[in-house]
Amino acid sequence: MAASTPPRAGTRPASAATLAQLAELNQRLAWKPAARLQVEGLSIGYSTLRGRFHAVEDISFEVPAGTNLGLVGESGCGKSTVIKALMGLQPANTSVSGRALLDGQDILGLDDRGLRDIRWNSISLITQSAMNSLDPVYTIGDQIAEAIRAHERVSRATAWARAEEMFALVGLPAGRLYEFPHMFSGGMRQRAVIAMALALNAGMLLADEPTTALDPIMQSQIMTRIRGIHAHMRRSMILVTHDIAVVAETCENTVVMYAGKMAESGPTADVLERPLHPYTMGLQNAFPRLPVPGAPRQPLISIPGVVPNLLLPPPGCRFASRCPFATDLCRTTAPPVVRHGAQVATCHHTDRSEEFRAAAARPETWRNMRGAA
Amino acid sequence: MTDRPTIAPDAPAVIEARDLKTHFQGHTGLINAMLGLKPPTARALDGVDLRIREREIVGLVGESGCGKSTLGMSLVRMYQPTGGQILYRGDEITKAVGRQLKDYRRQAQIIFQDPYSSLNPRLTIGQVIEEPLIIHGIGNAAERREKVIKAMELVRIPAADNIDRYPSDLSGGQRQRIAIARALVLEPKFIVADEPVSMLDVSIQASVLELLDELSRDLGLAVLYISHDIATVGYICNHVAVMYLGRIVEEGKAEDVLTRPLHPYTQRLMAAIPRMDPGEATERVELRGDVPSPLAVPPGCRFSSRCPYTTPLCEAVEPDLSDQPSGQRVRCHIHDDRAARAHPELTPPRPGLVTETADAGILVETLDHA
Repeated sequence: MAASTPPRAGTRPASAATLAQLAELNQRLAWKPAARLQVEGLSIGYSTLRGRFHAVEDISFEVPAGTNLGLVGESGCGKSTVIKALMGLQPANTSVSGRALLDGQDILGLDDRGLRDIRWNSISLITQSAMNSLDPVYTIGDQIAEAIRAHERVSRATAWARAEEMFALVGLPAGRLYEFPHMFSGGMRQRAVIAMALALNAGMLLADEPTTALDPIMQSQIMTRIRGIHAHMRRSMILVTHDIAVVAETCENTVVMYAGKMAESGPTADVLERPLHPYTMGLQNAFPRLPVPGAPRQPLISIPGVVPNLLLPPPGCRFASRCPFATDLCRTTAPPVVRHGAQVATCHHTDRSEEFRAAAARPETWRNMRGAA
Repeated sequence: MTDRPTIAPDAPAVIEARDLKTHFQGHTGLINAMLGLKPPTARALDGVDLRIREREIVGLVGESGCGKSTLGMSLVRMYQPTGGQILYRGDEITKAVGRQLKDYRRQAQIIFQDPYSSLNPRLTIGQVIEEPLIIHGIGNAAERREKVIKAMELVRIPAADNIDRYPSDLSGGQRQRIAIARALVLEPKFIVADEPVSMLDVSIQASVLELLDELSRDLGLAVLYISHDIATVGYICNHVAVMYLGRIVEEGKAEDVLTRPLHPYTQRLMAAIPRMDPGEATERVELRGDVPSPLAVPPGCRFSSRCPYTTPLCEAVEPDLSDQPSGQRVRCHIHDDRAARAHPELTPPRPGLVTETADAGILVETLDHA
């Protein structure tokens, strides 16, 4: 009777058999290697009453084993859609094309059975709203133990013992495994979801805005946990966020998305220090920073205009209507994917990026756009 | 928006809160009432002093549940304060009712966080902005329309194209501008902006902040800008107040508070903001536990249950706000030795010294985990 288990202050000491099984389970899970993910030409289309459109179009990136990838962009640019497709969680009216190779196995076309095998086991998800991703009628401990026992042939006691270890890892008292989601605060619930995502030591962790709904202090504590655990266990991760500062701190590589397409990608240091795409430049200038003592304050610059309607995508570059450097070529012809060293940008004018970067730091550049937008 | 105009320190305050308290009374069940138990009281706002002058933007920061929004809503009298005073241009309006309250509300307006739910989806943009004018019986239809168009111009939404559209036709940033236009149409002197940009994308946040900044300069508005994002506060505010559990723990000029925070809580809040340098995550001290419930405010310093420098003095005596040589005001025993001298038997905290009391607290938590 899971639902009627009363909350207990502590847990009973585990039996010798449980401990032995737990040690064996831990060892087996610790052996799992970090996963490598290659996404090639991923397109995701929805059919709606107003017609078909592509929420994500031709996205390619790679997450080498044991590294973090940041996926950034504004709301509605398709970040979460990519994550949903990778987990096989897309709604029924969706068409997905392209390939996503997780250690060589394409995970996009899997049937239910195949999906069940990989979820939590080799690819796990930390969802955006922890509020809605836990089942309100089961205790947290039951939910974590269930995920463990769905993949590993261990006793319930062993699964609970593993859940206790995961709770300790995210800084929650083991006694609270007996509680229901509504008894947790927002930050604790988010930590419980992280514990669940780590329970089977999946090689690939997808974190979809794990801290967006939380306070700054809770946000930094959760990100510190994720970073710490992650470095310790050497897993691979995709971190979806609109906060480029979090990406700067956490991820080796970054993909910037705009209106369903990839704007720019490459090593985080390069993308943030020498952006090639005007959208990345704009995003960076719009990001509020703390004042530096003695230094003059940098102006905060917004990007004028709005994201184009994806039902009627513009013929040329999707950013053209908001880009201060757009030319006629940009408005008529879709830009090519240009490679500069390790960095890749979808822009006609990557060769002028140095000039653009200087201009983009001046507020007038973007302000003069306003009449046109 | 780089340099805020300096405000003369003796300029008269548009709005002033003196020892303002807003407590919420919980409910007791029938049995508890028969047993004579008192209902619990949540001390959401517990003695706050704040002045905002003309053309001044005061930033109010703190974690969720610290009473920021309660202060904002109490100042515009959406909540009835249970103690202290609110002065609007020297007139007490704490207990104003009827005509006087309605007059005050014409002068004090609020902008809410979520522009998706704060605009009635069944009204056109024009109707949304016109509604306050109708409520306050201002002008005839033609005059009202003129005022609506003027307000839309102020927030840079072209009136001709948008006045008959519905909120659902607009983007989040445009909606928030409409919410600002609705607040401005009554020509108020004081505006509370309660997390006006936290629901918006980074790329358009700046434009809404810039707008607030310009409006406060051009129209002489006093603005209370509430946010949990300290970084945005630095861009538009003259003065910053940091709240913790219903009280202000530190306040001062924006540059001072943001670049040289004195209170351990402010320091932690600042450290929580990710820096933009790739690959360099700052080491951060973890705070113990969560914010205590306003139903059970700890005795002594309110932050003592989470502060790394806590000593017995902190747990016993609540510090007062003290004036610092740098011009800030701080509520912490580290920067104020008055309480330490009055209670020589209790160990006072020292800067940078992580104490055994705090360590013991961490120990209790770790034991809980095991």
